[in-house]
Amino acid sequence: MARTILTFVLWLGLSLPAAFAEGNRDFMRETGKIYVVVATLVVIFLGIVGYLVRLERKLTQLEHLKKNDA
Amino acid sequence: MWWKITSVVLVLYTIIAGFLVPLKSGIERVEPNVAQTGEQVSIRFFGYNTFFTRPTETPVRVWLYYNDQYALRAQAIRLINDTILEATFQMPTNLPEEKSFVLLNALVDHPTAGASLLPIALTLRQTKVSEGSLDSAWTIHPVDNLHLQKGFSFPYQNILYETIRNTYFHVPMWFVLLFLLAASVWYSIKYLQQPEADYDRCAATYAEVGILFGLLGLTSGMVWANYTWGKPWSNDIKQLMTAVALLIYFAYFILRGSFSDPEKSARLAAVYNIFAFASLLPLLYILPRMFDSLHPGATGNPAFGTQDLDNTMRAVFYPAIIGWTLLGFWIADLRLRLQRLKDKALGVD
Amino acid sequence: MNWRNLLPLLHKEMVLEWRQRYALSGIVLYVVSMVFVIYIASVKPTPPMWNTLFWLIILFASINAVVKSFVRESGARQLYYYQLADPAVLVLAKVLYNAFLLLMLGGLATVAFALVTSSPVQRWSLFTGTLALGSVSFSIAFTFISAIAAKADQNATLVAILSFPVVLPILLTLMRLSAACFTPAGMPVETWPDVRNLLAVDAILVALVFVLFPYIWRD
Repeated sequence: MARTILTFVLWLGLSLPAAFAEGNRDFMRETGKIYVVVATLVVIFLGIVGYLVRLERKLTQLEHLKKNDA
Repeated sequence: MWWKITSVVLVLYTIIAGFLVPLKSGIERVEPNVAQTGEQVSIRFFGYNTFFTRPTETPVRVWLYYNDQYALRAQAIRLINDTILEATFQMPTNLPEEKSFVLLNALVDHPTAGASLLPIALTLRQTKVSEGSLDSAWTIHPVDNLHLQKGFSFPYQNILYETIRNTYFHVPMWFVLLFLLAASVWYSIKYLQQPEADYDRCAATYAEVGILFGLLGLTSGMVWANYTWGKPWSNDIKQLMTAVALLIYFAYFILRGSFSDPEKSARLAAVYNIFAFASLLPLLYILPRMFDSLHPGATGNPAFGTQDLDNTMRAVFYPAIIGWTLLGFWIADLRLRLQRLKDKALGVD
Repeated sequence: MNWRNLLPLLHKEMVLEWRQRYALSGIVLYVVSMVFVIYIASVKPTPPMWNTLFWLIILFASINAVVKSFVRESGARQLYYYQLADPAVLVLAKVLYNAFLLLMLGGLATVAFALVTSSPVQRWSLFTGTLALGSVSFSIAFTFISAIAAKADQNATLVAILSFPVVLPILLTLMRLSAACFTPAGMPVETWPDVRNLLAVDAILVALVFVLFPYIWRD
C-alpha cells in the first residue's frame, strides 16, 4: 500500500512539472475558460451530493424511529 | 432499473464527450483593429485552437469581408506560430457605401482546420468620400471555396470559448426543472380527480426535487455568467423567471405547511400547484421573448436556432437532457420511497 | 350552470361592502397615505420611477382590498351560498366585483398621485385601458389566491407570498404598457403584443379559476 502511494506521489511529482512546462502557455486550456465548465460541473455535483446527504439524514431518522418502535 | 442505467450511461457520455470533443478553430481578435482607406497595413490575426504553421496542401487564405459581395483578400501572409498569423492588406481607396467607416469581418480559411470567422473585427475608416468608381480590390478576390472542418467538433464563439460546453451541464438543469414540475402538476391533477394520499406525496416530492434542480441551474448559470457576461446576476429575464418559479414552489411548501388537516392541505396545495404552474408557463415562454435577453432565443428567435446549436452539439445536447432528466427522476424516486416509508411509520398513511 | 344568480350575488357584494364601510375607507386611506408619504418624502420621480411607485401602490392596495373578500363572511353563510349558487357563478361575481373595486382604487390612486407629483402620462385613454386591464387581471389572481388562503387561517401574508410570483408577469407587462403611455400622443407605439399577452394570461387564469374553484369551495 505504502509503495503504491509512494509510486503515485513520485509519478505526480515527475509528471505535473512536465505538464506545466509543456503546456505553460495554456495550462489545461485556461485561456479558453475551461475552468468555468469545471466549476459548473462541480456546482451541480455538490448540489446533488448535498441533497443526497439530506436524504440520508432523513433515512437515518427513520431507522431510529423504527428501532424505537420495535 | 433500465432507466437508471440509461441515465448513468447518458450523463457519463455527456461528461466525457462534453469535455473531450475539441473546439473548432476560431479567431480571438485582430490587431490593429482600425485601418484607413488607401494605406497598406499588416494585421495580426490571433487564433484560438488554430494550427497555422502545420503544413498544408494549399495555402491559408485570409479575408476581411463586408458582405457576400465585397471582400478584401490579404496579399501576403506570414505564419508566425500556430496561433498568430500576420496578413498584409492593401486597403482600397474607397468604401462600398458612402459612409465614413465600415465594419469588416475577419475570415481565415485553413485547408484542414476549416474556415473561421470573427464578426466585426476591424473598422475601416475613410477621411473623405472619394469620387469615382469603386476600388476593384473589393470584388477581385471574392470569398469562395471555403473549407469545412471535418470531424467531430464544437463551434467556436468569441466570448464563450470552451464554456460552450456548459450547454450540456447548465442548460439541462432547466429542462429537468421543467419536467419535474410538470410531473408534480400531473400528480396534483390526479389528486383532484381522485384524492389519494400517494398522489399528493408524488406532487410534493417532484416539486421538491424540481426546486433542487432549479437552484442548481441558477447557481451554475451564475458561475457561467460571471465569466462570460461579466457579472453573476444581470437581471436577465430568464434568471428572473427561474427565480420566480422557485418562489412559487417555496410558497407551495409554505401553503402545505399552513394546514393542520392533511386532506385539506393536499387539496388546496394541488389547486395552487396547478394555478401557479399555469401562470408560470406564459411567464417562461412569452415574456422572455418580449424583454431583451442575453440568452439565446431572445427577441423572437426560437431558442437554439441553427446558428446556436449545430449538429455536433445536438449529438451531445439531446442525450444530456435525457440523461440528466432521468437522473432527476431517480433522485425524486428515492425521496418518494423514503417519504412513503416515513408516512407509514408515522401512521399518517 | 345557473347564471341567474350572478346579478343578485354582485348586488350582495356591493351591499356587504357598503355595510362594512370602515374596511373600504381603510383601503382608501391606505392609498391616500401611501401617496402622502411619497409627497412628504418630496420625491420628484422620473417617469420610470413614477411608473414603479404607481404600480407598487396599486399592487399593495389591491392585495389589501381583495384579501377580505372571502373572510368577511362566516362559514355558515358560505355554506348557504354554496347551496344556493353554482361555485363558478359565485367566484365570477366576486371577480367582477373586485375588478370594479380595483378599478375605482386605481382611479383614486391616479388622481391622488397626479395631484402630488406631476404625472408623466400623456395618453390618458391608453392609460385608462391599462388600468382596466390591470384591475381585471389582479382581481382574477388575487380573488382566487385569497380563496385558497382563506382556508388556512393566516391570511394577509399568505396571500402576498402566494400571489406575488403569480402576478409578477402581469405586473411587468402592465408597467411596460403604462410606460408606453408616457410617450407623446403623436408617436406610434406598439402596445398590441402586450395587450394580447395580458388578455391571453387573463383567459388562462379565468379558465383555471372556473375549473379549480369548486375544489377549494368543497369542504
